[in-house]
Amino acid sequence: MGCLEFFTDHTFRTVLIGTTAVGATSGAVGCFAYLRRQSLVGDVISHSSLFGVMLFFLLSYWLTGEGSKSLFVLIPGAMVAGIAALLLSQTIVTKTSVREDSGLGVMLAIFFGTGILLLRWVQKASPPIPGRRGLQDYLFGMAASMTQSDLMMIGIVAVAMFGTIVWLWKELKVFTFDPMLTQCLGFRTRWLNVLMIVMLVSGIVIGIQSIGVVLMISMLVTPAAAARQWTNSLGKMVILASFIGALCGLTGTIASALTSNLPTGPVIVLSGVAVFGISIVFSPSRGILVTWLKQRPVDALKRTAVRGGKPR
Amino acid sequence: MSLIVWTFVIALLTAVACSLAGVLLVVKREAFISEGLSHAVLPGIIFAFLIFQDRSSPWLILAAGLSGLLMVWLAQAICRSGRVYHDAALGIVFSGMFSVGIIASSMKLKNVHFHAHCIIDGNLAFAPIDRCEFAGLDWGPRAFVSMLFCLMGLLAFVVVFFKELKLMAFDESASHLLEFRPKLLHTIWVAIVSIVAVAAFETAGTILVVALMIAPAAAANLLTKRLSTMFVISGILGALTSALGVAISLPMSISPAGPIASMSGLVFLSVVLFAPTQGLVSKWRKRNRQRIELLKAVQQKRLKKVTTDRQ
Repeated sequence: MGCLEFFTDHTFRTVLIGTTAVGATSGAVGCFAYLRRQSLVGDVISHSSLFGVMLFFLLSYWLTGEGSKSLFVLIPGAMVAGIAALLLSQTIVTKTSVREDSGLGVMLAIFFGTGILLLRWVQKASPPIPGRRGLQDYLFGMAASMTQSDLMMIGIVAVAMFGTIVWLWKELKVFTFDPMLTQCLGFRTRWLNVLMIVMLVSGIVIGIQSIGVVLMISMLVTPAAAARQWTNSLGKMVILASFIGALCGLTGTIASALTSNLPTGPVIVLSGVAVFGISIVFSPSRGILVTWLKQRPVDALKRTAVRGGKPR
Repeated sequence: MSLIVWTFVIALLTAVACSLAGVLLVVKREAFISEGLSHAVLPGIIFAFLIFQDRSSPWLILAAGLSGLLMVWLAQAICRSGRVYHDAALGIVFSGMFSVGIIASSMKLKNVHFHAHCIIDGNLAFAPIDRCEFAGLDWGPRAFVSMLFCLMGLLAFVVVFFKELKLMAFDESASHLLEFRPKLLHTIWVAIVSIVAVAAFETAGTILVVALMIAPAAAANLLTKRLSTMFVISGILGALTSALGVAISLPMSISPAGPIASMSGLVFLSVVLFAPTQGLVSKWRKRNRQRIELLKAVQQKRLKKVTTDRQ
């Protein structure tokens, strides 16, 4: 198939729009997670969402007689599990002397482990559960299985996320950098905290189908960390991060469609890591290259000063 | 021995080795290094397999251990350059390395042992069949031999360097001043943990490495305040977890990794609830008792006042 035929192909266009939307949304939401140092919280949420996916798949099987893999069923499930994991670990960390990292890690083990248990059981169960084929693709993602209705669900979540970010821009901004000040200014921080959790979870579960629960953390963090290198303003960072995320989704999908046996999710992740690498080295204000060039004459001067002002 | 007994024994060894390795990670608040290691060893294993074409080669374990170390070093280097937060650096590096591993395995190794689901939950159920033959003798399952070596090495290291490890874990600057080289020791420790993660990864997959390194150690941290006791309790809880998990997986006839992971969580949650001093239930009861004592004291004082007023 030639390059042009791809873009006219209906399935490919659906997948391309889907992964681009996923990249843009998770990139924008990821900025807040990155600045609030919640990157690893994102990892825990994305792993935990497998449990919710399996639970709602089984629920739909018991209710209708056929397991549903539509994102309209699975995304709410993933959200429920992600929020539950986060709230449970927050409760344990505040009520006992367990540290945050251990509490989060244990939640990951419980929810992801139970999700794997249910997944293996569904795959082995007899009589076979209708619709169970392709469930393991949620681990590493299978963008090609995206349908029109899945695209619609992704679109709804993406529009809701961007709408919330624009609507509550100043509240989110002040809460990200200074929660204390937010409270002093009279904003309701409790609700803002809940909103942040819901945003974080939505930004993750939107990509469980195309990127997979194991690698979704990267789509959240990498565009944000790359965008952070180029700017000091939150507005520019969010725009740049969603642009980088969209670009990664686009290139990853095209690259994996052109090559056989190339999984989409990992390629999207790797293109994000490549952008991150370029940003951290070549950023004009704080890149490694610029810092090194600026630091070199200073170092030389220091060395001369140590030798008592005598040049070599 | 029958296959089921072998599965039990291998799961037990893996659990004890992982839960001992996790103790210092939990104490030093680096629990997520285990999550990173369990993902980052994959490219090492895959590339070593592509080069040597032999699944039982010890080079695989070495290469995977090295790629785990590379992950920790890269994340620290990015973080130390002051441009990215530590948690984000770890997340970017391990997911990137894991993607490299997945891409390499799905492009080069179609239908070989490293299948996508083996990466997540390993092949503990089939581990007893894969025997280790050396010098014409059958030494038992390969996973058993490698896990036994790992556990022995880990135990020996902990026993010999216990004092140094303890000082490193609780007061790194004192350890530095006393010239115990805490940075070198930390690197060696991460290397050992990474080799344990590799050995466990082959039989138990990524999910078990994370579950068994964090949950038993975090539970043990609630039960005791001594590091040596914590090692012992963590090992016991790990063994208990794996026994429960395998017992559940047998009637369901699925891979034991998922059940062991959820059991590790259950053991942790029950410790959080019922630990003798730190547990939620005992804390609640203590607070209740104190409230009642306070009320009693107030009432007695009031009674005394009333009686003296009457006189």
